[in-house]
Amino acid sequence: MRLETQVTELTASPSKGLDILKIEKQLTSMWSDAGTADSSHSGVTRACTINLIVYTTPADDATELDELLNRVTELHPGRTLILMVDRHAKEAKLDGYVSTRCRLLGATGKQICGEQVTIEASGATVDTVASAVAPLLVPDVPVYLWWKDIPHYQDKLFDRLAQTADRVVIDSSVFDHPQEDLLRLATMIENSRHALQVSDLTWGRLTVWRTLLASFWDVPDYRPLLSSIDTVDVNFAPPESAPDEIAPKALLLAGWLASRLDWALVDVKKNASGIEFKLNCGADPIVVAFRRGPAGKSSITSVKLSARGGAASFYVGLHSAGAKLQTEARIGADHSVGRLLTYERRSDAERLSSELAFPGRDRVYEAALRVVGAALRSLS
Amino acid sequence: MEATAIKENENPLRVGMRLEKTADPCTVIIFGASGDLTKRKLVPALYRLVQQRLLPAEFAIVGLARTEMSDDEFRRKMKEAVEQFSETKQVDAAVWNSFAQGIYYRSTDIGSTADFQKLGDLLNRIDRDRSTAGNRLFYLSVAPRFYAQAVEQLGRAGLTKAKPGSWVRVIIEKPFGTDLESARLLNSQILQHLEESQIYRIDHYLGKETVQNLLAFRFANGIFEPLWNRQYIDHVQLTNAEAVGVEGRGGYYEGAGVVRDMIQNHVFQVLSLVAMEPPAHLGAEAVRDEKIKVMTAAREFSPERVMAECVRGQYGAGSSNGKPVPGYREEEGVAPDSTTETFATLTMYFDNWRWAGVPFYLRSGKRLTKRVTEIAIQFREAPHQLFGANIMEQVMPNQLIIRIQPDEGITLRFAAKVPGQVTQIRDVNMDFRYGSSFGVQLAEAYERLLLDCILGDSTLYARKDMTERGWELVMPILEQWATDTKQVSFPNYEAGTWGPAAANELVEGRGTAWRRS
Repeated sequence: MRLETQVTELTASPSKGLDILKIEKQLTSMWSDAGTADSSHSGVTRACTINLIVYTTPADDATELDELLNRVTELHPGRTLILMVDRHAKEAKLDGYVSTRCRLLGATGKQICGEQVTIEASGATVDTVASAVAPLLVPDVPVYLWWKDIPHYQDKLFDRLAQTADRVVIDSSVFDHPQEDLLRLATMIENSRHALQVSDLTWGRLTVWRTLLASFWDVPDYRPLLSSIDTVDVNFAPPESAPDEIAPKALLLAGWLASRLDWALVDVKKNASGIEFKLNCGADPIVVAFRRGPAGKSSITSVKLSARGGAASFYVGLHSAGAKLQTEARIGADHSVGRLLTYERRSDAERLSSELAFPGRDRVYEAALRVVGAALRSLS
Repeated sequence: MEATAIKENENPLRVGMRLEKTADPCTVIIFGASGDLTKRKLVPALYRLVQQRLLPAEFAIVGLARTEMSDDEFRRKMKEAVEQFSETKQVDAAVWNSFAQGIYYRSTDIGSTADFQKLGDLLNRIDRDRSTAGNRLFYLSVAPRFYAQAVEQLGRAGLTKAKPGSWVRVIIEKPFGTDLESARLLNSQILQHLEESQIYRIDHYLGKETVQNLLAFRFANGIFEPLWNRQYIDHVQLTNAEAVGVEGRGGYYEGAGVVRDMIQNHVFQVLSLVAMEPPAHLGAEAVRDEKIKVMTAAREFSPERVMAECVRGQYGAGSSNGKPVPGYREEEGVAPDSTTETFATLTMYFDNWRWAGVPFYLRSGKRLTKRVTEIAIQFREAPHQLFGANIMEQVMPNQLIIRIQPDEGITLRFAAKVPGQVTQIRDVNMDFRYGSSFGVQLAEAYERLLLDCILGDSTLYARKDMTERGWELVMPILEQWATDTKQVSFPNYEAGTWGPAAANELVEGRGTAWRRS
């Protein structure tokens, strides 16, 4: 629920920049007004657990973003700094305004509110707008940058905001050219001077798949088969925007398996249905085959790990038009244990919220991405 | 190898996963499967844990009760229960069928050795068919008089001994005994067949998020622990109030009363977390060692202390949430001249360096003004008052309130100047609410506790010494009250109020008052 409070436009200009003191003053007066306007007398509580910088472009749907941020700030109330950046506009423009985001807490009538500063920048001000962000951050709480676009490599704004942030959130599923962009992302993280910490929303979407695959090896009966895996079949739907490419989700899953299980990349080969990674676990060869399905929403449709030439297999796949997930562990002809689970796809807001709950570096993701980077490098 | 190096026997795919704990394959065997707890809490909690992927596919449930029922009948009943008592209220048929494949039912007579032999055969078959690896969790959700017999039968059938590399655990529901003697007897009976490490005495209060947060609050923050002692704390109030009456459980409650039903278990568990010393680490034994250590320092209740520092009550007719409600003696299954206490206040002292002289006022009861469980730490007043008495008139000493239910959170009350030319000082609250800071649905206590048991973490379960110490402390109170029936005339408080006047007088006599919870 959005508190009906003023959205205050602040005078700003490309030549004078943003008046930071004025913004802070406006925020303070907004809080005292919110308290006065609270007719229920239940109280307005300001909560601040994070700074969230959101980089958006004119291509983003503002209403959709607003709804998403309502949900995110429910889970992580704090200061949101929205940078609406139009790089292609000729006119240099710099505008700012402040507002609050509130929600009612249960039946108590109490409102929990966070605050939002929106900065619109276009033309030449794009390169300098980052300098207005740092002074607006609330001290002592983590800073997240949600880069709602393909990362702009060697871009001054991206570089500066990324340096300010404790963690940068991206989404590799929206990459225009998944393979090329993933390779660039991998290279950027590897070469990052300031230990760039990245959260990839696509990696978050893989958590369910990774959990289900990992849970096979919690079972003592299956554990010995882990070292005997010889084939991995990853069926995926490529993104509609790049139907000839492999979905980032599929690549990251393979990268994760290889990095966790110490499989060394030997070669990458193209074939009729997709590509294959050839890997070695010690002296034993392993093939990871990516099989392309019809293009759609960039995703995985099933993963099957086979051991001992197919004598045992471990399967996770979509079921019932993607509404459920089926798992099955099959050993020989007689033994099969599986289950069907509801596959509740989390919204982008929930996905982003869960990324915001983890401030540290995700080394498992970085290791998976390194394998993907190495494979894509050898392919190119 | 990088920072997330793989240890021996560790599942390499689990390394670095954000999920902190992973459960072994196992079978959960529920004694009392036709009972209310199985329907309302246990099966819905297990279903949710499976749906949250916190339990593996290699998992099974075996329901045991006297009633004759087929597997399919039991599955159908459990489906209805999950639909009725789970949060979502609806269950997908295909998903349920997949879950239900791992549910079995056997009509079992706890007195029949043959039934336990058959149970053993069934469990071996499940291990083969579902790869449940010989891991077994027996949940005793039967009448307390069957606890010892059930464990004995399991022992005789060889079901309490784990196979190499596997585990066998037993969860025992409350109440654990009805007095010190019966608790000791029960402990000795079950310990003939089980190791203490296999026994999980459940106290669902410990599964609540805020109770667990007590450890984080006290020991993950640097600013509170230095103040957590007699130098700065004037007294502590622990309120555990229920708005409901005995809800058709009059028959049971007549033999129990609030001291047996709530104080010797739930209230003491929470109290020990508030008063204990920092543990050496967060392992189950280290935490439980500190809990028993502080409870050992609790001052015993002499008859004089019971008279002077404890108050009992029983509710009469009144109203609750605007609705007239009967008195306790008019409830079903309750004797018209019952002397069972539905309310009690105890003044506890811990005779140790940290707490010497600091009273801990505990109050617990039924049909009180509202449902609330909270701990209020009242700090001492500032040593020197700079502001005049008239300015400070409205100001109370600082209080830290830890709310356990409902609306879990922490509040710090302190004094602040009211803006303006005139110096005016007023109390203000600094509030932390789980709901607002994390905006997440807190897990059901049974989910957390069942998962902890499957994971082998007994931190949130009561150990033998703690259950017996609880009884040791309350027995003199119960004995004194039993012999001294003329001391108090029941009913002595109206339903819907905060208990008998004597409970207020007890704390008022010491210059304080109960917090308006």
